[in-house]
Amino acid sequence: MDGDWDEVARIPFPPPGVHALPTPVTTMTFDNSQELLWTGNDYGRVTSFLGTEMQRYTSFKAHSAADGPVRQILVNEKGVLALGAKDVHMALRRGLPLWHIRHDDIIDLRCMSFTSKGTAEIIVAGLQDTMLVIDLNKGEVVKQIATEHQYSIMKRGRYICAATKSGIVNLLDPVSFAVVKSWNAHSALINDMDAQHDFIVTCGYSLRQGQTYMLDPFLNVFDIKQMSSMPPIPFPAGAAYVRMHPRMLTTSIVVSQSGQIHVVDLMNPNTSNVRQANVMSYLSMFEIAPSGEAIALTDADCCIHLWGSPSKLHFVDLATPIEFATADDHAPQLEWGPETPLNSVGLPFYREILASAWPDLVSDVGAPPVRFDPEFLAGLKAADFGSYGRNTRGLRRNQAEDTRNTHRGGNTGLKAPKFLSEKAREFVISDSRVSDDETD
Amino acid sequence: GSELYRELENGRIARLLMKLGTVNERQEFDGDRAWSENGERYMLKLFRDYVFHQVDGNGNPVLDMGHMLRCLNRLDAGTEEKICLNSRDEQTSFVVSYKELKKQLANAFSELQKSCKSG
Repeated sequence: MDGDWDEVARIPFPPPGVHALPTPVTTMTFDNSQELLWTGNDYGRVTSFLGTEMQRYTSFKAHSAADGPVRQILVNEKGVLALGAKDVHMALRRGLPLWHIRHDDIIDLRCMSFTSKGTAEIIVAGLQDTMLVIDLNKGEVVKQIATEHQYSIMKRGRYICAATKSGIVNLLDPVSFAVVKSWNAHSALINDMDAQHDFIVTCGYSLRQGQTYMLDPFLNVFDIKQMSSMPPIPFPAGAAYVRMHPRMLTTSIVVSQSGQIHVVDLMNPNTSNVRQANVMSYLSMFEIAPSGEAIALTDADCCIHLWGSPSKLHFVDLATPIEFATADDHAPQLEWGPETPLNSVGLPFYREILASAWPDLVSDVGAPPVRFDPEFLAGLKAADFGSYGRNTRGLRRNQAEDTRNTHRGGNTGLKAPKFLSEKAREFVISDSRVSDDETD
Repeated sequence: GSELYRELENGRIARLLMKLGTVNERQEFDGDRAWSENGERYMLKLFRDYVFHQVDGNGNPVLDMGHMLRCLNRLDAGTEEKICLNSRDEQTSFVVSYKELKKQLANAFSELQKSCKSG
């Protein structure tokens, strides 16, 4: 973290409705190919923010509000994945849904991780005894795995590092998902975890005097090469959140709830770079961008703080351009009159079948009109706009009727065929006769 | 010749409007996830608003036939141009191409066709 790092932007996290109270960010992640920060809210909504100005980009519902917060977000080259307690939703970065999974074995999901298949497959887990493997290209559950442990955090390092609710981190084989090693990281529970390169780092709680949960005043480190834990790194302010630096392989950034930020080299913990984030309440989350040139912090006042060097801040090294709406080519303003032909606005160049192409459907255009039962008509009340009453016709609303057959009558024997107009006329005459009879 | 072309064009617009009319807001789709806020058909509802429910800065209706026809023509051809669709509560924003909308319309219409007795 360079000396000129500072808070470059602070935005209020959008509340869930126009007049609704703000709610905290439930999860966030930096995109790995575009200058976007992805966030989730308490009502299943995913919103992305663009660049240094944190301008709102897209926003969509990943699942219904009744199913609670967005638990975790992952991105791959195709799009963005949002995990809810009962749903897994994948969408394009532009917001369009790709697929959505609800499954009988999904009870209460909390976390997910990419597997051995790069970014084409994930495993999802939670407070349930089954983990599910999902093929991201097909949008299908491809495998179910029974688990003795229930997981709340997952990070993909060399292994899938999965934190339980009781302070243990299991190292799962990314192919077989078998537990390779169990590491007892904290005595009560794990608050935050990261895994990259050769290390797993954790922040957690201990139960003090048997009744209050206190953040441990140290960072716990596990060395994957040695398959053993390293001496904890002291952090007197109470280590709440931690991320490994994506570029500096042995560096981690540790943050306290009150906003103290330490940049620590795991190999040389005595030389740490300390900064203070300006928070009125307390911090609730922390993320680092893949470039290592930006970090985001969220606070209990529902704000997102973006930190970095004001001159160099970027999220990814070679960002793919953001896809915006195409600028309108300022079409000439036409004077629309009753005679202006619709083809004054031309059809763009096209190669494929037009959307207006109508399929080969048989359509009946000449049938006589529907005849209403006199009892039904008599039951209607007259009003200025027409007559109204209950639908007592024994037919559905807008039900299509075959008026050719119903009005054929009881005639037998052959008759000369009639034109449709003749039939329609006869029908109208017979109808008026019916109403005449009634008035008599 | 130009008269004929004009009528062909009108017929094309009419058929496209009929397709949009048959798929949007059908009662059968109530409770269908594909049409809900996280469903893939939700875009067609928002597109209907984008084309026909345009408003000015004061929220008054804008009845610009040029806008409606430009949008419909682009949908008909399925161009690569992208538009930003926003939900009525302004909470949801999508950036979507006419090509993607055309595909959604085709899917929705063919679903109706499949369950239609003459189709």
